[in-house]
Amino acid sequence: MAATAPTTPGTFLLLPITMDEKTKDVTAHTHSDPALDRELEALNALHRALKQPGITDGVPPPPVPVHPQRTAMIEKMRNTGNAAFRKQDYKGAIDMYSHAILMALTRPGWEPAPLLRDELQQLYSNRAQAYIGMSSWPEGLADACCSIDFKKAGNQKAHWRKCKCLKEMGRLEEARDGLEYGLEFGSDPELSNMLKEVREMLERRK
Amino acid sequence: MSSTTAISLIAPLVYITVLVGTLAVFSSLYRKRKANKAASLKPWFGPHYARDVYLTLLHQENTKVPDTILKAALLRRATEDIRRIIALRQAKGSLQQLLQKGSISDDLWTRFTVAEAEIEEELRDVVLEANAFKEGWGNTIFQTANEMANAQRIRDRTDEVTKQAEAERKWWDEKRKRAQRELLGEVNSDEDGVLVESAAKKQAKIGA
Repeated sequence: MAATAPTTPGTFLLLPITMDEKTKDVTAHTHSDPALDRELEALNALHRALKQPGITDGVPPPPVPVHPQRTAMIEKMRNTGNAAFRKQDYKGAIDMYSHAILMALTRPGWEPAPLLRDELQQLYSNRAQAYIGMSSWPEGLADACCSIDFKKAGNQKAHWRKCKCLKEMGRLEEARDGLEYGLEFGSDPELSNMLKEVREMLERRK
Repeated sequence: MSSTTAISLIAPLVYITVLVGTLAVFSSLYRKRKANKAASLKPWFGPHYARDVYLTLLHQENTKVPDTILKAALLRRATEDIRRIIALRQAKGSLQQLLQKGSISDDLWTRFTVAEAEIEEELRDVVLEANAFKEGWGNTIFQTANEMANAQRIRDRTDEVTKQAEAERKWWDEKRKRAQRELLGEVNSDEDGVLVESAAKKQAKIGA
C-alpha cells in the first residue's frame, strides 16, 4: 500500500512516470492507478494550454485583465440565440446557446471563475427557456437546475423555469417546494402565481 | 569525619541524578510514543498526486524535463493545495465545536492539526519554487490556482447537466408510456369492472 503511505514535508513518493521526448507528454508506466492517470491527463492539458501565444515562458498571466475577444463572441452568440428564440426557432436557439456554453467552458482555466459562472448561469437559463418552448421538459429542468446552482439569489427566471418543467411533468410537490425555495430569495409575482396554481392543483388531486 | 561529608555530598547528588535521569527517560519514551502514534494515524487527505508528480519530474535523472512542464506541474500542485485549504477551513469550525462537546476523539483532532501544519509548509514550498522559476510568480500563483480550482468545480457541475437531462428524459418517457398503457388498460379494466358489477347486480337482483 505505497499509495497510502504518509508523505511528510521533505519526502515525496517517486512515481513511475516518464516524459515522451517528442510530444512532451508525461505518462505513467503502469496503468494501475486511475487517479494518477487523471492527474497526468490534466497536467498535459494544462501544459498544452500554457503554450498559447501571448503567454510568456509558460507562466500564466494573473486572472485579470481578461482578453475581451472571447467574452464578445459569447455575447454575440447569446444575442443570436435570443433572436432565434423570439422567432420561435427553438432548435436554432438551443444550438446557439450550446455553442456559447462550449465557448465559455473552453476559456483558459486561469481566467476569473466568477466571470465563467456568470456567463454559464445566463446561458443555461436561456437554454432552459428554449427547451420549454419546444416542450422538452426534462432537458429544460436539467438546465434550469444548473443555472440555479450557479446563482440562487436574483435568478427568479431560472427558478420559474425549473418549476414550470416540474409542473408540466406532473411533479407538483417538487414544483411547490421549488417555488417556495425560489420565493425565499425575494418576492416575485410570477413565482407566486405559479405557486398558487400548483397548490390548487394539489388540493384537487387529494 | 571526611567520609561522612563525602557520603552526605554524594547521597543528594545520586538522588538528583537518578531522579532527573528517570524523568528524562520517561519523557523521551513518552514523546517517542506520542510521535509514533501521530505518525501512524491515517493522514487527513489521500495521496497528493500533483505534488508527487512535480517532485518526480524535478528529480528525473535520465531525461531533462523542460521548464514549461515543470511550471504546469507546479500550477497543478498549487491548485490541489487550494482545494485542500478550502476543505480544511470548511471543516475547522464544526470540528472545533464537536471536539468541545466531546463528540470526536482526540485522534481525529490530531490528524486535523497535522494536516494543517503540513499544508502551511506546502504553501511556503510552492511559493519558493514559483519564485525560483520567475521572480514574483509566487505572489500570483495561488490567485491563479484559486481561479483554476473554482473553474474546475464549475466545469464539474456542467458535466452533470447532460447526465441529469438523460436520466430525466428516460424517466419522463417511461412515465408517459406507462400512463398511456394505464389509460388503455384502465379502459379495459373499467369495462371488466362494469361487467362484473352488472353481473353482481343481476345476481343480487335474482337473489332478492
